[in-house]
Amino acid sequence: MALSLFSEIRLLLGKEWKSEFRRKDHFAALVIYLLSTLFICYLSFEKVADGQTWGALLWVTGLFTSFNAMHKALDSSHHPQLLHLYTLARPTAVIISRCIYHAIQIAALNVCSLLLFLLFFGDSVLGKLDWGQLITGLVLGSTGLGITLTFVASLAQRTGNGVGLMAILGFPLVIPLLITIVKFTRLAIEGVTWASNGYQLMLLVVLNVLAMVLAYLLFPYLWRE
Amino acid sequence: MKMHFGFKILCALLLMYVAIFAFLTPLSPALLQTDLSEIKPGEHSFTLTGYNTHFAEGNNALFLINDSTLSIPCTITEVMDNSHVRASVTMPNEIHSKAFAFVLNNQVDGTVFLESPMKVTDFTVNAELQSSQMPKFQHGEASFFSYPYQPIIMESIRNLMWHVPMWFTMFFLMIISLVQSITVLVKGQRDGDQTIVAINPALIRPHDNKAAMSAAVGMVFCILGLVTGSIWARFTWDAWWTKDPQLNGALAVFIVYSAYFILRNSIQQEENKWKLAAIYNIFACILMFVLLMVLPRFTEGLHPGKSGNPAFSQYDLDSSLRTIFYPATIGFILLGYWIYNIRLRILKIEQDHENL
Repeated sequence: MALSLFSEIRLLLGKEWKSEFRRKDHFAALVIYLLSTLFICYLSFEKVADGQTWGALLWVTGLFTSFNAMHKALDSSHHPQLLHLYTLARPTAVIISRCIYHAIQIAALNVCSLLLFLLFFGDSVLGKLDWGQLITGLVLGSTGLGITLTFVASLAQRTGNGVGLMAILGFPLVIPLLITIVKFTRLAIEGVTWASNGYQLMLLVVLNVLAMVLAYLLFPYLWRE
Repeated sequence: MKMHFGFKILCALLLMYVAIFAFLTPLSPALLQTDLSEIKPGEHSFTLTGYNTHFAEGNNALFLINDSTLSIPCTITEVMDNSHVRASVTMPNEIHSKAFAFVLNNQVDGTVFLESPMKVTDFTVNAELQSSQMPKFQHGEASFFSYPYQPIIMESIRNLMWHVPMWFTMFFLMIISLVQSITVLVKGQRDGDQTIVAINPALIRPHDNKAAMSAAVGMVFCILGLVTGSIWARFTWDAWWTKDPQLNGALAVFIVYSAYFILRNSIQQEENKWKLAAIYNIFACILMFVLLMVLPRFTEGLHPGKSGNPAFSQYDLDSSLRTIFYPATIGFILLGYWIYNIRLRILKIEQDHENL
């Protein structure tokens, strides 16, 4: 264990990136999934008349895409090279690097989702939107989903029935995050000031920190037989 | 396992006391409504309807009080029965403000109020106006021990003794579950440098059993809390289910713990099951606090004492409610603990039987 925690995390993240680039079809598949989900939403809703529905739809789509991304993660962590590295690194480095990696991945997917939303549903309900708040919400929501779902995926993986349990274990755990992020986005679309959206922002940060602390403390128990 | 009987006897006594007094304690007398919809200068005659009052048994004095500075005496023309009275009043041209309240006093009920029940029109408002002396009221004799009358809630205030203790009991059991889960993880921990030490199942299994059984009984109390809450919501908020954050948080807690049991049942290998279930349980318990204690503070809801404190403030609980409510809480927590103990022993017998 000559490497420090920090450089272990950096090393693992680098390997994850490389493996992701080698398998470009993974991310492409997720974007196609997102596209078809949104296309179905577009065809069935035709138009979204108010900001509340706009924000809620954005996050419901985001939630399903994130779960799909984690299903992929359940497979790809069987990637032999990464698996070997995982056995060498310390568990805290593994969980932190995986959380960061999935948070970035989910954030990227949510940005794609936002662009597709603007394409399909237009910005007619976004007249008063505060873009800074929307982007902040997107980032905090994605990191929260990334951390919680990474942890749940590791847990589900250990049961030997990962894909089946993932949704059952994951959905209830993201309820508070989802309630908060939907409300934050709705208020951002209504164009309130940062100060009046402060409670939601604080809650988002607290939920993120809570998820990270729990994942950090509990992952070593979960990892490795 | 050695059991102590003391807490069972205490539990049974407390719950019997609660069952009797929660239902038999009367509600304080109060004025319900009047058929007077609008007042202006001049004479009016009207009917007042009371609740749990004793108009026919007492010497009634009726006033219209204006901002507690001006009192206008009313004449009672007919006492129809204990809860209906006809009266008339002659209103002056000048009033102190537009806030009126009917105040009725007799020696049985004490003083009962009805605040701003009608529209106020055509008066000259004069803030200087004052009565030379306010009427003196006599104390009632009937209401020495009664539940406070609250509009809308009315008799359903008795549900306080059932609905709220369910949640306290659930919290108590879920905290037991959390502590036992942490114990499973701590005791089941392997040595630091990855040498595999065999875990002694006899050391861990009891803690896992306790965690699972207390969560199971906690879920029963969660269901009971939701059901009693739903019935209460039907009477006070006019719907079986509402968009109240605490209500939906409670349902989310129920779903989380259901997932915990699904997780437990889907793992065959015992050691693995203990560990994973314990980890998920810790998540679930912290989520319960977030959903029921933190989130409702930041959302508008229907539960009392919202926006700042998702429970009862000291003003909501008067002393007659407290004398039943605290025993009810302790009684139900003891009952939860009792059921949990029985479930635990049943499980242990089943496990011993399997191992034979």
